[in-house]
Amino acid sequence: MSVVTDPKTGLIDGPVHDRLAALSRARGWYGWAGYAAPSVLDTVEFEYFALRNQCALLDISPMHKYRLTGPDATAVLNRLVTRDVTRIRPGRVGYAVWCDEEGMVIDDGTLFRLGAQDWRLCCQEPMLTWLIEAAWGFDAEVRDDSETLAGLALQGPTAFAVLEAAGWDVATLRPFDHADLGEVMISRTGFTGDLGYEIWMPWAEAPAVWDRLWQAGANHGLRAIGYEAVNIARIEAGFLTAGVDFQPVHATERLHRGKTPFELGLGRMVDMAKGHFNGRRALAGARPRSLLMRVDVEGFKPAQNALVYHRRRREVGHVTSGVWSPTAKRNIALAHVALPWAARTPPDLWAEIYTLEEGRWETRMARLTPVEGAFFAPPRARATPPART
Amino acid sequence: MSRFDAIVIGGGVNGLVAAAVLGRRGKSVCLIERSGRLGGMAGAEGAYPRMAHLLHNLGPLVRRDIGLGPGDWPFRTVALPTVALAPGGGHVRIDGAEARFADGRPHPDAEAYRALVTRLRDYGALLRRLAEAPPPGGEAAWADPAALKQVLRLGGFGRALRQMGRAEMRTFLKVLLSNAHDLILDEMPDGPLAGALAADAVRGLALGPRSPGTVFSLIYRHGHGGTVSLPVGGMAAVIAALAGAAEAAAVTIRTGTAAARLLCEGDRAIGVETDTGEVVMARRVLSSTSPLAAARMAGLDRFDIEATRRMRLVRARGTVAKINLHLSALPRIDGLPDDLLGARLLLAPSAEAVETAFNPAKYGRMSDDPILEALLPGVTDPAQTGDGGPALSIIAHYAPSDLAGGWTDAARDRLLRAVLARLATVAPDLPGLVARSEVLCPGRIEAETGAPGGHWHHADLSLDQLLSVRPANGLGHYAMGLKGLYLCGASTHPGGDVMGLAGRNAALAALEDGP
Repeated sequence: MSVVTDPKTGLIDGPVHDRLAALSRARGWYGWAGYAAPSVLDTVEFEYFALRNQCALLDISPMHKYRLTGPDATAVLNRLVTRDVTRIRPGRVGYAVWCDEEGMVIDDGTLFRLGAQDWRLCCQEPMLTWLIEAAWGFDAEVRDDSETLAGLALQGPTAFAVLEAAGWDVATLRPFDHADLGEVMISRTGFTGDLGYEIWMPWAEAPAVWDRLWQAGANHGLRAIGYEAVNIARIEAGFLTAGVDFQPVHATERLHRGKTPFELGLGRMVDMAKGHFNGRRALAGARPRSLLMRVDVEGFKPAQNALVYHRRRREVGHVTSGVWSPTAKRNIALAHVALPWAARTPPDLWAEIYTLEEGRWETRMARLTPVEGAFFAPPRARATPPART
Repeated sequence: MSRFDAIVIGGGVNGLVAAAVLGRRGKSVCLIERSGRLGGMAGAEGAYPRMAHLLHNLGPLVRRDIGLGPGDWPFRTVALPTVALAPGGGHVRIDGAEARFADGRPHPDAEAYRALVTRLRDYGALLRRLAEAPPPGGEAAWADPAALKQVLRLGGFGRALRQMGRAEMRTFLKVLLSNAHDLILDEMPDGPLAGALAADAVRGLALGPRSPGTVFSLIYRHGHGGTVSLPVGGMAAVIAALAGAAEAAAVTIRTGTAAARLLCEGDRAIGVETDTGEVVMARRVLSSTSPLAAARMAGLDRFDIEATRRMRLVRARGTVAKINLHLSALPRIDGLPDDLLGARLLLAPSAEAVETAFNPAKYGRMSDDPILEALLPGVTDPAQTGDGGPALSIIAHYAPSDLAGGWTDAARDRLLRAVLARLATVAPDLPGLVARSEVLCPGRIEAETGAPGGHWHHADLSLDQLLSVRPANGLGHYAMGLKGLYLCGASTHPGGDVMGLAGRNAALAALEDGP
């Protein structure tokens, strides 16, 4: 079963907790799917710049991981997600979202095609019962690997060099490829928009793999990092976080808190021509109510949680993720903005930003400028073979 | 390949009615029936009944819409009295709202019985406004004529509710969702009369008289006045009339032909491939199977995950076995005048006994003291006597479809012995008269008719499976999501019962879908 945080037991140690605890100067832990995960180990600045300029190591084992096998496994997944998974070839990884019958996003995640009818799904939300439900009546088996499969994310410009030094050759892996290297499975994936890899192995072997990478990274600036640094990177890359940038609809209690993929700017992930998939009929008739926009915020104060106004007066949305991007040198944000205001050109959108400085609150309106694509998308993220520095 | 305007899958009562209604509206219709004969659970090989044996709710609305005119059905029906048999004597004869002892003496609870049944009838008349039309709700816009009609109908329901008077309306709303046991025993002491009501409240359902919602099913039983009638010529005459109406409406009827799979194009059903590989094309396909069976024919991947989950979780746990006995001579029932031998005979000594009989069924066991509805149809209609000796048709409660250990020969024997022992409490010579017997357990009924769980309503008539959520949320309007595919069987509103309303409503819903 999926891991649930039990207040009686507190947070559980992840597979490399000993290593993390030894490095944790900040002692900043947070609960991630029931596991104690570092929000920051040292300082967020050090960790962020290690990630963008050297290389960073992050334990991602608390992700939920499921294995789908059997003659109908591909059919089950194609029923589940909005994109056509038959286009993901074995050896490839695909990003996917899936919806409920009303077309509202349940979660997003990555699909690893391990074989013709052998898949792994990695996602943020517990999904076992939903997958079992999706597979009911089909010849497919769903297995929860969440507690048996560990994952380490190695992200940053020297990530390839670190793997090479560790003795793992991934020179031929293109973005979204994965390869089985015997002891570990490595995919060229990540949540930072940078060059990076994710290394997958049995739970008990994670400490040894961590140590091997740690030693290999000694001359490549490798640093263990926590979630706060990753969060800055993922906003720069324009990636969404479940529960922050959208509310996974199965976890909402109030009506109409869900969003369609179109409203999340994920319309390209929806293949209306592939045949039926969950929520297709609802999506076919749905008109988007709002849009998740990437915006450049005037000034330098992060706009996290700011309300968004049209012409400074009409409240039309709110910022879900806002941060100063140290690499793009821009004040960036993701914001839900109601239609039609989100689509007006030129836009006349403003964020109302509150700041508290030494006991004094100030508020000001900051102009929002829509941005197409990621805020930061370095070519090194896609170069194959990848650079070593 | 052949082409029709509509295909109806299943030639039971609802399938025949749906086909006839569509045919009457000028649609070319092909009805396919898996088995060799029409009628489904109401069908019979001989003149005597096999599964269904009486008519409760067959109404004029269906007759009108299948073109049999305003007069009467082409077969004669005989209203039968009901006798609540009391072991040791004191049988109670019930004619509609009147109850008295079988020997003619007045019954002390007759007045209470009349008052209760009259109330149930009033409630039934009220609920019939909802039962006969498609369930309220749906996708139509408010300005839409269909939606307006619906609003008027609901408004009419509300008005009728208010016209009951404040006190009566409050009572109605209070008891509607409650249990039959309390309602009945508030009015009369427990005994055969109370037992008869309790047994009728749960007939065909996986419920006991104390289960919530059984007042609703009791009202449903009394929806058309509560009279029970025997069709002269048997159920065969009823089915012949429905099939005749379908044929008169130019419906092509093909028995011995099963639908193997549904053909789809994009998000629409466009036809059926039969078990012999033949292709029949149509703009509409109406299936009187369970929703899940229909979905499987189209492929589960054409339906949303939530929808298949709801279809899977529709509660259709059959609890009734049908036992057909052939006797060497008419039995003698102690204390019952000969002229009542043809009545509907109930063996439910008390409401408590019905509840007690239900208890084992909760845990997958059969009742040791089953509750019986027995009928000697040949006494009233000699044509239904049976080959070689009087046929005795018995509906036995509770024989759960999920019997622990399965319905083996031994289990069927055990049920038969329990039924005969129950009958022997009022007719000691009866077990010795049995020349031939047949036990149709729910699994057998399912195998022969396709009714899920062998349940005669295809889905329990419980509060969460009624009206616009019958058989399940999202399936309440005869549509299934896949365009052109409709449900027309007993699992849809308002249920089974040799009534045909589900088929009629489904046909009308399908007619709204374009040319």
